[in-house]
Amino acid sequence: MAMETTGIVTPESRPAMLEADKLTKRYEDGHLALDHVSFTVRAGEVFAMLGGNGAGKTTTINLFLNFIEPTEGEACVDGIATHRDPLAAKKKLAYVSENVMLYPNFTAMQNLDFFARLGGKSNYSKDDYRRVLLRVGLQEEAHNRRLKGFSKGMRQKCGIAIAILKDAPAILLDEPTSGLDPKAAYEFIGLLESLRAEGKAILMSTHDIFRAKEVADIVGIMNRGQLVMQRSKQDLEGEDLEKLYVEYMAGYMDEPAEV
Amino acid sequence: MFRLIVEKELRETIGTTKFAVTFAVCALLILLAFYVGGRNYQVGQAEYEAARAENLKQMEGLTEWSRIDHRVFLPPQPLAALVSGVSNDIGRTTEMRRQGELRSENSRFNEDPIFAVFRFLDLEFLFGIVLSLFAILFAYDAINGEKERGTLRLSFSNSVPRDKYILGKLVGAFLALAIPLLIPILIGCLILPLMGVPMESGTWLRLAMVILAGYLYLGVFLTLSIFVSALTENSASSFLMLLVIWIVAVLIVPRAAVLISGRAVEVPSIDKINFDKSKFQRQAWEEDQKKLMTWQEENQPAEGEDTQEWFGRFRKEMDALGEDRNDRIAEFSARLNEERRNREAVQQKVALGIARISPTSVFTLATTNLAGTSLSLKQRYQEEAARYQTQYAAFLTEKTGDSPSGIIIRIGEEEEEEPDPIDPYELPAFTYEGPSTDETTSRALPDLGLLALFNLLFFAGSFIAFLKYDVR
Repeated sequence: MAMETTGIVTPESRPAMLEADKLTKRYEDGHLALDHVSFTVRAGEVFAMLGGNGAGKTTTINLFLNFIEPTEGEACVDGIATHRDPLAAKKKLAYVSENVMLYPNFTAMQNLDFFARLGGKSNYSKDDYRRVLLRVGLQEEAHNRRLKGFSKGMRQKCGIAIAILKDAPAILLDEPTSGLDPKAAYEFIGLLESLRAEGKAILMSTHDIFRAKEVADIVGIMNRGQLVMQRSKQDLEGEDLEKLYVEYMAGYMDEPAEV
Repeated sequence: MFRLIVEKELRETIGTTKFAVTFAVCALLILLAFYVGGRNYQVGQAEYEAARAENLKQMEGLTEWSRIDHRVFLPPQPLAALVSGVSNDIGRTTEMRRQGELRSENSRFNEDPIFAVFRFLDLEFLFGIVLSLFAILFAYDAINGEKERGTLRLSFSNSVPRDKYILGKLVGAFLALAIPLLIPILIGCLILPLMGVPMESGTWLRLAMVILAGYLYLGVFLTLSIFVSALTENSASSFLMLLVIWIVAVLIVPRAAVLISGRAVEVPSIDKINFDKSKFQRQAWEEDQKKLMTWQEENQPAEGEDTQEWFGRFRKEMDALGEDRNDRIAEFSARLNEERRNREAVQQKVALGIARISPTSVFTLATTNLAGTSLSLKQRYQEEAARYQTQYAAFLTEKTGDSPSGIIIRIGEEEEEEPDPIDPYELPAFTYEGPSTDETTSRALPDLGLLALFNLLFFAGSFIAFLKYDVR
């Protein structure tokens, strides 16, 4: 299945922060999880990866985080191949998982403090943590409460706050809106837009076609380990992304679509 | 980074209800162990003093040294308060005789069998059983639990070196357990001298080493738990696996080692030895009876021979036979005892060699050696009692002038003056000199080294397993 790449015009002035170059992962049991996937996310861009379960979205993120090593190709963060120098690459990465799980016996502030320091930021004050938590929409009365009583949405907000505090140029979001109520999801999109405005390069895997179209500068569709389509926001204007997605997922479109 | 992870581990552990409950239970048990130990020492010391006084008192009024019934006693060991070892199982009283074998009896457990059923709550038991379980409880999900919770993934999305992370986790988990335990232990250490347990500088040093052994032992179970948690996918599996390892190490191996060595090296029972000795003694006596009868037949008093003179010759012959017989019996007994001791030593060597597979056995051996309550306590007490026996025999010979056989033949009825009562306080005093600090520490050092080695091995295992660990 050939990949369709149309209409993606990105200003060269913006540096490529996340690059997948023929990224391939074949597991020991022979399963091909990712097959020569290539894309670039520049500073100030949001790249939304759509795809069903097992399409290769999380594998792509795992390769950027060097949780697994590529069989072929490479994943680079600001030019650093993650499997060659993972510690240097991870300094430039922030990550929010699908289901943010923090230390349940720590308060939100304590979790933020630990992960900020783990990410190399040891100069934040309590006020900084408070400000970020308010920015992500966590009410002040929850700041000093232990995480074990938090809802998924509240934990997700803490996870995003941790990513913001790290102040990394690239952010990986693994299905960040999954399980969030519509209001929280809406607030999250607003936050994402503000991060983009700050110049962050954001790679987001999601099932949420509506949000992807709304926020992404580039939308990619993955199927069976391949990136079968990537189109720019402008390109998708007037298009029914949901229809496109269903068609690609069903394998109807083996050839590049007419745009 | 390392410090941050240590801090996180400390904060994460100490802030939990699990920790609060565990700490409260541990603190209570530790303080109780020190108190019970101190109380046991007081009781043991009072019994020891009373037994010594009673021993001398029952001699008062006697007029002949040959009629005294003298006993020596094993005093309670100060550190037996915390590590009882075999101190309650071995006989504390030894009936003193001028010659022949000495037998110790009246062990604490013999006197109060109920204590033998449930044993005492001492520091060695606490570390060996309770705290090792708590160590597992705190660290069984150190790695896979973080993976299950998702925090491992988030942590390693940062620039975190794995070696620092695993080392930080280990040190943090160890400090989280060790520091709070130190508080009741230190309070307990203050209780001991207040309760009258004599704590000299050497004893303090040995106690400090007992505590060090306890911490090394805790470290073994912590590193083992981290190792297993880095090898298994989920925390339920690691807990189950650790529980099985704990049962094998703490309950099975030490007992199995004794059983195996018992099968491998047969040691004749004391009853069998005693039976053989009695048989030999009886035979020797019968032979001597015959010899005496033959002598009598061959040496009838000559006509006109003074009866006293004939009795003198008879007595000389009897004494000579008696002396020879005693020598033969002593030699035979010594040979049997030595054979038994040698076989026992081989059996112990095999048992301890096998038992040292388990850190629990190593810990027990280290602490009992440090406390002076190891297997060698019995041997040492017997040796010191045997040394005293020589002193005692010389004293009695000096006082009575009797032959070692102790046979006194009185001829005729002589008018004698009423003799003066003996002074039992003239008896040489028996003092048990426990092993020196140098001796105990040098004996315990190999086992302390072994505990450190267990720590190192399990840590190396955790380290290697974690370097390959799939953090996803």
